[in-house]
Amino acid sequence: MATDLRISNISKIYPGCVANDNVSLQFKSGKIYALLGENGAGKSTLVKILSGVISPDNGEVFLNEKNLKLSSPLDAKKNKIGMVFQHFNLFETLSVFENLSIDATEDNKSLRVRINEILKKYNFNIDLDVPVLNLSAGQKQKVEIIRCLLRSPKVLIMDEPTSVLTEQETEELFISLKKFCDEGILIIYITHKLKEVLSLCDEVAVMRKGKVVSVSQTQNEKVETLANKMVGQKLAKIKKKINFSKNKDEIFKVKHLNFYSDDPFETNLVNLNFSVKKGECLGIAGISGNGQNELFQILSGEIITPNTSIIFRNKEIAKLNPKQRREYLMAFSPEDRISQAAVPELKIYENVALNNFKSSNFFEKGLVNERKIKEHSKKILSDFSVNTDNVELKSQFLSGGNLQKLILGRELITAPELLICYNPTWGLDVGAINYIHETLIKINDQEKSTILISTDTEELLKLSDRIAVIYKGKLSKIMPSDEVTPEKLGILMGGGSID
Amino acid sequence: MEDLLIRIEKRNDVPTTLYFFTPFIAIILTIIGGGIIFYALGFNPVEALKFYFITPISNLYGFSELLLKATPLCLIAIGLSFCFKSNNWNIGAEGQLTFGAIVGGGVALLFYNQEGFYILPLIIIAGAIGGMIFALIPAILKTYFNTNEILVSLMLVYVSKLILDYLVVGPWSNPEGFNFPETRQFSDSSRMPLLFEGLRIHAGIFIALAAVLVSWFVLYKTYLGFQIKVSGLSLKTAKYAGFKGKTMILIVFMISGACAGLAGVGEITGPIGQLHRMISPDYGFTAIIVAFLGRLNPFGIIFASLVVSLTYLGAETAQIFLQIPQYTGQVFQGMILFFLLASDYLLFFKIKFQNFSKNELRH
Repeated sequence: MATDLRISNISKIYPGCVANDNVSLQFKSGKIYALLGENGAGKSTLVKILSGVISPDNGEVFLNEKNLKLSSPLDAKKNKIGMVFQHFNLFETLSVFENLSIDATEDNKSLRVRINEILKKYNFNIDLDVPVLNLSAGQKQKVEIIRCLLRSPKVLIMDEPTSVLTEQETEELFISLKKFCDEGILIIYITHKLKEVLSLCDEVAVMRKGKVVSVSQTQNEKVETLANKMVGQKLAKIKKKINFSKNKDEIFKVKHLNFYSDDPFETNLVNLNFSVKKGECLGIAGISGNGQNELFQILSGEIITPNTSIIFRNKEIAKLNPKQRREYLMAFSPEDRISQAAVPELKIYENVALNNFKSSNFFEKGLVNERKIKEHSKKILSDFSVNTDNVELKSQFLSGGNLQKLILGRELITAPELLICYNPTWGLDVGAINYIHETLIKINDQEKSTILISTDTEELLKLSDRIAVIYKGKLSKIMPSDEVTPEKLGILMGGGSID
Repeated sequence: MEDLLIRIEKRNDVPTTLYFFTPFIAIILTIIGGGIIFYALGFNPVEALKFYFITPISNLYGFSELLLKATPLCLIAIGLSFCFKSNNWNIGAEGQLTFGAIVGGGVALLFYNQEGFYILPLIIIAGAIGGMIFALIPAILKTYFNTNEILVSLMLVYVSKLILDYLVVGPWSNPEGFNFPETRQFSDSSRMPLLFEGLRIHAGIFIALAAVLVSWFVLYKTYLGFQIKVSGLSLKTAKYAGFKGKTMILIVFMISGACAGLAGVGEITGPIGQLHRMISPDYGFTAIIVAFLGRLNPFGIIFASLVVSLTYLGAETAQIFLQIPQYTGQVFQGMILFFLLASDYLLFFKIKFQNFSKNELRH
């Protein structure tokens, strides 16, 4: 039976922000629909409304002309709307089968039969009796999908499903989604990745600032046209020229980096060796959770590992803490902006004072030199075009992009010889991403080096001179980035090997 | 949407003025709550509350008593604010007070038959060091063995009380004291100078006031204060900035312990004048309420210590005039904390009724 899902005049207002402004859309089964938009465009709000997590202030949802009352996720389930979120809702320590049986209504025996049928039908290769924590992200996602399929859904909503997948896993996912679509399941695919829209979807709705700005057939669209609709302005393309040359000095050299942790949620690092040359950007690719967190903390000095040698500008710094490393002109930009790189409750100038290097004179003889810190902060705000000049503003009122500019500015104002950043553009909109990328390229142009740990392959290919891939705590060989293709990276990130 | 949905949302920004105003709301609610309790017990609530909150401070002696009891509360709470601001939950100030009193008292007993201007400063320093050492135990266990400081500091309270018990009954008991569980009286040189003849208020209040000023300076004007503030908000950030986390834990516990130790010394060299079993009516625990009622702000703590001190006095007056147990003081202290936490909840979160907000949207 054909399915017809209609969203009519949905509005949702949060304090100080209109998340959805009179959104109306229509979806019909047999097609894959893309919902495209930047972070904060209102996609997630709309999806949460469809799945009953939040209620709209205004507007209605119709499924086959029946007005749906979605006041809880249970209502969505009852109405056969399935949903796979970006972050998995699985119990890591329970087995796959246990996870699936939690909200099942039938007995275990027939449930197992049905799950096995689904596995066979869609060629999913998952052992039902292993704990979920042993699964890869792609497999976990399949478990979530199976959970939806068990309820024979009419609508399946996927929220940025590929953000944690390798290229191979993404392809597999697309094949499955097409199969579901052929079987009459209406698929709504939420993403901000343009290429995925073009390769997978039939129709695309673009959202910007809470409004639907365009609905069109994907065959009539190109990457550039969609990007312009999504961002609402023409984008200048930036591409870096490769900066790597063999004769340059090695400024940073890591030998025998090993890390062992008792915590099952941390990744052990096995014998990492690499070096960075002056003016170079070394990219470290990998799917999150393969040891990047641990690597960043060891490079920044938050974790000190025994027997590791880290030589920076001809000095051994492996035993120094982050503050001492900063004195040697290293700078760090961690992934977690809100609870690590900055404190939202602190004022802007107080967050600036976190990077307290000796020559800053922020704290003279143990006393706070507020005037100096504020002066310095003002300079950062204007040099890095943060959209405020009020250093007394609490940092929680900065958007993600502006906060990241502030953090980068704070780290870069010391003119460091080496900047180590981890997912610097995570969750930012295109405008801010471009700004950050330009800044990172500028650093290399000034003969300063960077280590870019990132889960975004596009970003890595754009910015790095050489790239290595980290997988399960091991580093691949380091490759010049002009020899690297997204496919190669994908294979390495998924644990495969090339040539 | 027909049904009423109640949702709790975090408020994005809480005005600072309101943040410092809510303790007053809590106090007013406590007084109303107290009135209701008195009414339920069959008293005229207005009259009872008058006995409780007005009579105790209606004369000079009462006012001196108010300051006398506020002094240790203020001192301990100042120390605790260092711990609480940096995410270290020192619940054992009562134990640090007791141990400070033991060490200070020990020095006083050494000089029991001597006079000299140097004796009192020695006792005070000894008391501060005693409290500091006792606070270092949970701090060291926390930093090097990952123990929970709440449990350790709390349990150490009973350890120090038992040590005091043993000393006043055993080795330190007064040889001429007919086996009463108490030590000798300290010599006059071991006593805090009284400020006014006939009143019990003593020089210890200056120590408390000095602590307020010093702590304000340290917390808001120094690098240590900045580190305490950042660590309190996010330990991850403190680590990333390269603050020496372990050293800081030790420092805040030492400050806190020293303040509690000073409070203990102030009691035994002030109004008590010897060591016995009951040197503190749980000042160390009550000071936790004082610290939070004062918003961990040094000047807020002065105000809070006066309010909470009044509940001690009120309880005594109420016992005399209304024949109700002294423990009503603890009822009032409990109510203050309850109303403070409740109003904080409403301050930081808002409760939204779904179908009201829908109507709001229409215009």
